[in-house]
Order: sequence, then structure tokens, then C-alpha cells
Amino acid sequence: MDDIDAMFTDLLGEMDLLTQSLGQETVPPEPPPSAKEEVKLSYGFTDVNASLIDLEDTDLDALMADLVADLNATEEKLAAQIDDLRTPSPPPQGLPAPPKGLSTQPAPAAAASPTSPQSGTSSNVSTPASSSTSPLPPPPPQSAKPTMEEIEAQMKADKIKLALEKLKEAKVKKLVVKVLLNDGSTKTLMVDERQSVREVLDNLFEKTHCDCNVNWSLCETNHELQLERFFEDHENLVEPLLAWTRDSENKILFQERKEKNEVFRNPQNFYLWKKDKKTLRDIKDKDKELLVQENFCGTSIIVPDLEAVLHLKEDGKKSWKQRLFQLRASGIYYVPKGKTKSSRDLVCFVQFDNLNIYYGKDFKSKYKAPTDFCFVLKHPQIQKESQYIKYLCCDDAWTMNLWVTGIRIAKYGVSLYDNYKTSEKKAVVSSAWTNRSTPSPSSSNQSTPSPTIRAKSPNQANGHATTPQPGPVSMDSGFVPPPPPPPPPPMGEVLPPPPPDPVLPPPPPPLAAKSFKKPSPPQRHTPMNFPPPPPAMDNLPPPPPPPPMNDSFEDPPDFLPPPPPAAGFGSLPPPPPPVSSLPPPPPAGYGGMDQSLPPPPPDPGFLPPPPPQPMFIGGGAPPPPPPPPLATAAPRPVRPSGSVKKMPPAPPRRTTPSLSGGGGGGGGGGGGDFMSELMMAMNKKRGSS
Amino acid sequence: MAAWDLSVTVEDLGPDAPPVTISVASDLHVGGVILKLVEKTQIKRDWSDHALWWEQKQRWLLRTAWTLEKYGIHADARLLFMPQHKPLKLGLPNGKTLRLRACFSNPVFQTVTGICRQLNIRHPEELSLLRPVEEKKKKKDKDAAEEIYDLTEVPLSSVSRPSLYNGMPAHFADSPQMEEIYKMLSATQPPPAPEVIAKQYRPASVVDKAHIHGRWLDSSRCLMQQGIQENDRLWLRFKYYSFYDIEPKYDAVRLSQLYEQARWAILLEDIDCTEEEMMLFGALQYHISKVSQSEPQMVSSNSAAMDDLESALLSLEVKMEGESSSASEMLENMTAPELNDYLKIFRPKRLTLKGYKQYWFKFQDTSICYFKSKEESIGEPIQQINLKGCEVAPDVNVAAQKFLIRLLIPAPEGMNEVYLRCENEQQYAQWMAACRLGSKGKTLADSSYQSEIQSIRSFLAMQKTSSGSHGNATASDESINTHSLVSPRYHKKYKTKQLTPRILDAYQNVAQLSLTDAVMRFLQIWQALPDFGLSFFVVRFKGSRKDEVLGIAPNRLIRIDLGVGDVVKTWRYNNMKQWNVNWDIRQMAIEFEGNVNIAFGCVTADCKIVHEFIGGYIFMSTRSREKSDTLNEELFHKLTGGHEAL
Repeated sequence: MDDIDAMFTDLLGEMDLLTQSLGQETVPPEPPPSAKEEVKLSYGFTDVNASLIDLEDTDLDALMADLVADLNATEEKLAAQIDDLRTPSPPPQGLPAPPKGLSTQPAPAAAASPTSPQSGTSSNVSTPASSSTSPLPPPPPQSAKPTMEEIEAQMKADKIKLALEKLKEAKVKKLVVKVLLNDGSTKTLMVDERQSVREVLDNLFEKTHCDCNVNWSLCETNHELQLERFFEDHENLVEPLLAWTRDSENKILFQERKEKNEVFRNPQNFYLWKKDKKTLRDIKDKDKELLVQENFCGTSIIVPDLEAVLHLKEDGKKSWKQRLFQLRASGIYYVPKGKTKSSRDLVCFVQFDNLNIYYGKDFKSKYKAPTDFCFVLKHPQIQKESQYIKYLCCDDAWTMNLWVTGIRIAKYGVSLYDNYKTSEKKAVVSSAWTNRSTPSPSSSNQSTPSPTIRAKSPNQANGHATTPQPGPVSMDSGFVPPPPPPPPPPMGEVLPPPPPDPVLPPPPPPLAAKSFKKPSPPQRHTPMNFPPPPPAMDNLPPPPPPPPMNDSFEDPPDFLPPPPPAAGFGSLPPPPPPVSSLPPPPPAGYGGMDQSLPPPPPDPGFLPPPPPQPMFIGGGAPPPPPPPPLATAAPRPVRPSGSVKKMPPAPPRRTTPSLSGGGGGGGGGGGGDFMSELMMAMNKKRGSS
Repeated sequence: MAAWDLSVTVEDLGPDAPPVTISVASDLHVGGVILKLVEKTQIKRDWSDHALWWEQKQRWLLRTAWTLEKYGIHADARLLFMPQHKPLKLGLPNGKTLRLRACFSNPVFQTVTGICRQLNIRHPEELSLLRPVEEKKKKKDKDAAEEIYDLTEVPLSSVSRPSLYNGMPAHFADSPQMEEIYKMLSATQPPPAPEVIAKQYRPASVVDKAHIHGRWLDSSRCLMQQGIQENDRLWLRFKYYSFYDIEPKYDAVRLSQLYEQARWAILLEDIDCTEEEMMLFGALQYHISKVSQSEPQMVSSNSAAMDDLESALLSLEVKMEGESSSASEMLENMTAPELNDYLKIFRPKRLTLKGYKQYWFKFQDTSICYFKSKEESIGEPIQQINLKGCEVAPDVNVAAQKFLIRLLIPAPEGMNEVYLRCENEQQYAQWMAACRLGSKGKTLADSSYQSEIQSIRSFLAMQKTSSGSHGNATASDESINTHSLVSPRYHKKYKTKQLTPRILDAYQNVAQLSLTDAVMRFLQIWQALPDFGLSFFVVRFKGSRKDEVLGIAPNRLIRIDLGVGDVVKTWRYNNMKQWNVNWDIRQMAIEFEGNVNIAFGCVTADCKIVHEFIGGYIFMSTRSREKSDTLNEELFHKLTGGHEAL
């Protein structure tokens, strides 16, 4: 074990060196798992060393593979960034991807204060707000070509942007997490703070070959308090883990939890709970559907109207007292003694803003609870006994389930439903996939980017991450200067906040692209080839769910960062066939494009919905589009729906046969070598399949 | 055929003019009668809107091709010749009164459609007209004082096909006065004075509420048939609480009227809510009124993501001002802004004897740390407190110059209580705002920091005015009496200075919302109330000897025990097989799946109203299925009309 330890330290040291050597540029090198991380890593374990010692050899191997991949990614990314910084001249916005608000503004802003670059930047910065605010279709300003000043200003803005990204990146926390499986074995993952539970689950699906059904959950247990809860898919995993104390024996479990999505399968049990059991059992599917519609698809999410006598363990006391509680969207209330049940007499027991809900285990013996059906409300940071923890006990499991679910609905609202839809899609896709083939995941390593890689490297992981997709991507592309390969990573980082809502007005992107584009060679060639125009992205935040054959889809993501295609996809019902063309010919095409840097695609006019147009144009300008596709049609249908959602599943990774899906996914440009690597992988795959 | 004399009263000749008598035959069609009439009066004007009203039979003779015989009109018929569109005083959900010309000859359903078209409200099927509750007390001078917005000049032809101009129907763009009216319609009203709220009629019980629902007009019959006269006063209200496809971009008027109706429902306790909910509603009203002053048009919100980035860029830029720095310098310079000052701290749980102690405080990122003094602030702080996830509560008394920030800070062992004491308003506003942002994981670089400070200040100002001069003070428009934001129950329960911090507390969660988002949030919370959407009727179930209450909601019927107020039974529409009305005994019978049959007679309302309510909701639920935008009026009447429609 000592050697392993040493190896790991070595590795970290190497990464440090590497980053330092690269780090001459202004930007703080993106911190690979390094010193800083060591500290962070330790959560959940006494410290890194200990945690590593705990690991099984296989885990370690996997982890190492991940780290190496991480390292590679970092290296390339840094190299690319350095290039960018050194040669700022290439006009920044080659990218077709139109940042929503941001890209647009530069033009006007710059025009206003053309002289001083400084002020130029400032105006850029400030204006965005206004431009982005206007909901209406953006006026097509693009008549004038950008002047030098504008370009300069733009570059400046890009730099700032980059700097910001770097800063954010520098602060990203990563944890090594050991997940306990049902069979008692463990899997070790690296998770960064931007990853949602959904992404981590996808990662685990990959590693465990489970059936990917909607019940799979990550649970945290608190040993000291005898609590557990499953995370909601949209939550971030790292944050709650950071609340653990250093010496805690808390664990993360990967389990099936039927109750997680039960409300969507049997809404009558929650919304019509007063009816007798038989009526509930006999309810028709169409009525269930209606219930879900009524309660989760309206302007307001409806919380089940619960009322029950529960046992409450009073602050700091040992005894349990009965009270009549009511659940409302705004919190849990109780009826004070001698008062009526009318709303105005209710006393607020808790509101949910700062509380999480947990199941209590064995409270009968631990706290002398009347039954073992207990749940607890507490601030996530509280880890030990405290008077601020609220303990409630129900008469039976049914009641407890009712309340816990009701409280989750009140607390998380529509996110629960979105999570469910996402996981359902995932389940369908993967079941389709398992039927087809079962490639061995373990074989994957760097050359065929394996899932693990993604998970690890923060950038990538995030880039594909469900939520942020659109936002980040577009921003990035707008600002980041040229080099093709790097773009991907930055994207992930930039996006601070979760994805813009899908509802946004039509994407203004085309505009932006237009005005600035001219000078700059498109960095990402891919977009052009691929049908899906980046502009679309703005609208649809969600990355496309993997096509039925998810394997194919997965590969690409690793190489090609940008998800744009996906977005495009969503908006364009029928994605252009070219995507499917992945076979050999395309690569050549891509490579060519890269170098030649065809002028950015003229913008097709800013009609909001025109995504399709852009693509065509874009494709046309540069090298002829790849040979007509075929085959891909099948997967299509599935994806579109996914894209509509807010939180699509993170792209799964794995090795697979046909790239078709992948091509689409990979919109971003990898460098030439990426392409060749991709080719190799594909060939390999094909060979194997 | 023999000719006979028919006398017709022509309204345009004045109330005292004698009826015009014309000679007709039974086979003359109504159009011919009108022609003769017009010739006889010798008045030149546009008669196209006029029609004949048969008073005894209470019906319009709108089919001009029908003969008098077909209508069954004889010489004794009392006919009135008058316009179909007449002025009506319309009380809007926002409490304003509008005078406009409405159709008196078509079924009320169409009349409402016409009114909504004039006002630019989409989905008129959700609204209807009802007779207002009489205002008993103040009949004296009150009416004269009331401002009436006049829309009667709007030509009917322009209303039939409204074209938009500047986002509003073209007829509102004709004059500044008209634009003013549109503004009144589409913007939210400032909070009413507490006295106004107190004076309004408030239903005190379910039975009172049930009586209000007995006032709805019958959608299948016209205004004339329901005894409504020219210039009568009616209320326009959302009747069916099933709001389809709300789109802030197109629904400026609809949304603001809906908000007003919801607000008044809350203020008048037409719908019950808890105290916490009331505070949140109050906070939202405050925010909405504040934002609408600065942001008059409803603008769709931009994404928070952009906001965040912009603010970060902005702060970055501030730092860089002046020096032309390389990218690396830029980065070094870039740190989030911080706050530094001397404050006093007190930890109630610990060492209570010590009281408040002064330290040099620094707020950075989302943490507070403190040092012995300013000079020592370079070293290690005495303590660092991360505010993320903590609870922040104000404890302020302006008069006593007490400015306390109470922090409840989570730690593995529980929550730690810490009080920070500020010297003055200025300091308090800054630190309070910082703590609030910190608790949400935001830094001072966040764009909402300044507005947070502002709102804390205006709340402080509120405390000042309300404690300084009583009641209707010379309040600047910045400050609002918090009693304007809650129902009268809380006027008694809390003084404004007690109320203000509670509302401010709720306010911190909504302060970032744009106007549209705030209005939407208000509506969402309203819709999430357990009693939302219930319209009550007192009924007598078949086989029962006492009155009970039937609640009609968008998706279900509930039976409520009048004595206890408990819901006894719930039936959902999707289980409903059929329903019938026995018009002779005025009883409704409904059959549900599983052989469940109920029947009841209506006590507080005509059973046509109840019937229409149920049919109306079923109609509303069909809307999502058919994609077409056109309203299926026929279906509506089929579902709600009863025997008259057939």
C-alpha cells in the first residue's frame, strides 16, 4: 500500500510541475487534483492517504486511469490557453455558437466607446444586461463589420471572460468518493462540485452495469444520528459531503429506492390518500396521468394536502408528544391545542428553505420512539445531536412515506418531476442498449475515453453536464479566442449557474455570430459540419439525452466538447443526416476544416427558430458536407424529447460502435489528433462489433 | 293579409316620447318593421346596432327575416327599439371602475368575450360578470368621488378586430387619456390604504362566500333578460380558476387583473392562509409595487446566469479601471469586494455575562471574520464564520437606535446564535444586506447587493414614518404602510413596527424577482393554497335534512360539513359519468363511476349557476386537448346551458 501511496503522491507532484511549467501565462493553472485537493479529498475519509489505503486495487487502477486522463486533458487545455493568450490577434469569435446575451452586445458597446480598449471592455460588460434583457427578437444590427476597435474590445472582453473562467475553475472542489454498492463492494469516483447527482449516477451506471432503472439513487447515511436520505438527482453531490465532519463514519450508498419516484407512478397514493386502499389500487392509468398533470404540470406545483397526528420529539426532551400536523406548500404546521384547523390558526412548525429531510433508522431503540417509522428535518450542516434537529414519528410506513414524499414535493417542486423524466429516459435508453450489446466497460482507457474520465475531469464532466450546457457553451465560444482543442474545457467552467431556462426567447445568437465572426476563423469546425447550429443551444439548455444506442453517443463527448449539436437537435426535429456520417470520410473532412478555417458561417438571419438554416449555410461554406448519412434515423426520435427537458442526463460514456450519435454530440472541435484518435476508436469499435 | 297597428317605443326619441305607431301585417318580417320605424322617426343616424326588444316575452327580435307571425307578435306586444350595445359600469378586479359599451342582446358569454376583447384580455371564457355586493354604508358622497374610466367612445367596429399598436390594442393609442386607461388596466395598483381594506365587505364565513357566488349572471342569456339596465354596475371577475396558457408577453392586462383579484382575495380573507403565507404575500405585494414604479412595463426577466456573470465582469472592471494591465495583473487584482468596519458581537449562548464586545469585522466572499482591531486585521482572525446556509433575522428598533442582526449559523453540532450590533442605519443596511447575500452563498459582487441595501433602507424608513406620525402620514412614495399588505386581522394583531420586520424577513426571499416573476410567484403561491379555486354553494343533499356546503374546484367537487367545516367527501370530475338537472324541482343529480350517485338542491344560488360552474370547469379542461385557438363556444353552451341551450 505504501507504494500506491507513493505513486499517487508522485502523480500529484507531476501534475503540479506540469501545471506550473505551463502556468507562466497569466491565468492560474487550472488546479488538477493537487495539493489543494488533497485537503478536499479527505472528506469522508480521514485523509487522502487513508482513503487511498482503503481502496481496492481495482479501484485504484480506475482512479489512476482517471487521473491520467485528467492530466492529459489539463495539459492540452493549458497549452491551448497559452496559445490563446499569446496570440490574441485572431479574432475571438469564430465560433458559431452564439452566446446568448453576451456575444451580442459587444458590437454596440464597442461602437459606443471605440477608442480606449479599457472603456470598451467596460461598456461591453455592462451592456450585456440590457441587450440580453430585451426579450424581443434582437434587432439585426449586424450591418457594419467590426472595426479594429471593436475587435480589440472584444478581445479584451474575451480575456476577462477567460480570466473569470479560470478563477472559477481554480475554486472548483473535487472529492474522491467511495460509494458502497449493494453487494458490499465499493466503487471509487472523483466528483467535482459542479456535478449533479444525476451525473454521478450515470457514472455509476457505467461502472456497475446495473439496469439503470429510475429507482437507482445515491444515499447518504449519518452514522451518528442514524439517519439516511437519498439525494435528489438535481442536487450537487459535493456540497452535502463537505458538511460531513472529518471523522464521520457517514457513507454514500448506491441503491434502488422505490420511494424516490413513487409519486409519479402512483400519484393517487399521495394525492388521494384519503380514499380507501381498494379505490387507490384500482385506479386507471389515465387517471394517474391526469393526477400527475394536474399537480406537476400546472402553473403551480401542488403539494398533497396531508394531515395527520404525528409524534414529535420535543426540543432536547426525551419524550414524544402527539400533535396534529398539516403539510402545506409553505411548510409544516400544527394545530395548537384548543384551536380549529382553520388556516389562520395554524402554527408554523418548519419551513423548508434550510432543511433537508432524512429517514431515521432504529429510532425505537435509539430515542424510544413509538414506532420505527421516523423522519427527521435538519439543516444539512448539522451532523451531531442538537436541539435544532426535528424528530417526527409516524404510526406506520405508509404515513411516513406520504409525509416524506409530500415534504420533498414542497421543498423541491418541479425539479422532482424533471428528475423523474430524465431518469426514465435514461432507463429506456439503457435498456435498449443492453439488449443490443454488452461491451465490456473495463476495457476502456484513454484512447477510448471511458466514462471515468469524464467524471473526473471537471471540465469535461461539466461541459456535458446536464444543466449548464447551453449557457456555458455559448459563452465560451463567444469569448474564448481561437485554439480549437481547448474550447471544450473552458466551457464547463464558465458556466456558473445552471442552465438558462429553456423558455428563453429565440436565440439571438445568429446575430452575434454574424457581426463578429468575420475575422475569426471558426474555431470549431465541427459545428459547421454538423447540422445542428450552435445558435439553437441557447434555447435548449439540456444536452441531448443519449440516443438509444448510447454507446455511440458517448464516445464523442469526451473528445468533442461542445454539445451544441445536441441543442440544435432539440430545436430541429429532424437532425440532418450528416451526423450519422461518422464513418471514415468525415474525419478527413473535419481535419480539413480545421486547418482551412473557413470563414465563419454567414449568419442565416436571425429568425429565432432558424436553427436549421444556419447549419446548412455553415456547412456549405467550408468543405462540402460529409457524405450523406444513413442509418441514424432511428436514434433521432428519442433524443429530441430529451433535449426539451431541463436536465437531461449527463452524457454517458462508454465505448461503442457507431458514432452516429456521437458525431452530433461532439460538435466542438477537437484538434486533429483528437480526430484521429476518434477515428481509431471508431474503427476499433467497428471491428469489435 | 290584414294590416294592424303596432306601436313601438323608440328609445332614441327620449323617455317621454310616445310610442311610434306603424301599420303592419303579420307576414311582415322584422327587418321590414325596423325599416318602417326608421322612416317614420325621420331621424338620420346609424341604426345598424339597433334592434327590437319584446318586453313581455323578455326577448330580442334579432332574426330580421322572421315574420311577426313567426315570432307570435300581435298588436298588444310592447316593443322597444334600441341599441344592442349600451354603456355599463364595470368594476374591475383591481377595484377601478370602467364605463364601456357592452352587448345587451347576446348571451353573457359573448358579452364577456366582447368586453375582454376591448380590454385585451385573452381567454375570456375564464371570466364572467356578477352583480356587485351592495355597499350599504356609504351611499352619500362616495359615489361622486369615484373615478370612472370611460371607454364608451371606442367605436365598436375597431374592437371587433383589434390590431396591436405598441403592444396594446390600437384603440388605446388614440389619445393620452386612452393610454392612461390602458396603463390602469395593465399595471398593478399600489397597495390600498389600510382603511380602504378595512371598509371593504369581507365574507365572514363559508356561507357568506356562498352568497357571493349566487350573484353570477347566467352565461346563456343576455343582459336584458337578466334585468340589467343601461349604466348598471356589474363586476368583471375571473370565475373559473383554471388559467390556461398564461404568457406574460401577451397577457399584460390579464395577468395584472388576475394578480389584483388574487391580492384582494388574500387581503379580504376570501381565501384562508397562514400567517407565514400572509407575510410572504405581503412581501410580494411590497416588491411588486416597488418594482412596478421603476419598471412600468412588464418585461420578461433575463436569466440569472447572465446576471451573475455580468456582475462579476462589472466588479472586475471596476478594479481594473485606470491601469492598463496585462491579463495576469487583472487577475491578481480581481477579488470580490469586501466590507470592513467595527461592529459589536454577542453570543447569547456563551459567556452571557460579557455582553457585546467590539471587534474589527471583515466581510469577504460569504464569510465574516473578525479581529481585535483594524491594525491586526492582516493576521489570523479571531474567528471566521461562513454564512452560507445560515439564517439571518433582523432585530431593529429605529426609535431606540437598535440595529441588531441575528445570525443562526449551522455547524455540525447544531446552530450557533450570534448577534451583530451596528451603530447606525447606514452600517446596518450594508451589513444586513451582506449577511443576506452570504446566507444564500452570494458575495458582495452579486448584482443584488445594492438593491438589497436599498430595500433594507426603505423598510427602515417605513418603520420611521409609521412610528413617527400615525396612520396616513406624509409617507413618501418610497414607504408603504405595511398594514396595506395584509388582511385586517393582522392590523389588530400587530402594530406596523412589529409587522415590518416580519414582512422584511419574507421579503429577502423574493427581493431579486423581476416584476413579472414576482407577479407569477404571487399567483403560484395563491394557487398552491389548499383552498384555492373553491367556489362555495350552500346546498341540500337529497336525503339529508340539513344544509351543507358544496365546494366546486377546477378538478373536483367537495362536500363540506357546515357545522365543523370539515371536508366530508371529494368527487373528481374525471370519475363523473353524467350529470342532470331537474329544472322542475331545481335539483342537480350527478353520477360517478362505481355507482355513486348524488343529488342536491341549491339554497344560495340558482341551480343554473351551479350547473354552469360544473359544466364550465369541464369545458375548461377540454381546452388543452384541442390545439386550435378558437374558442368552442358551442361546446361551452352545451356543457353549461341546460335545457335552454337545446
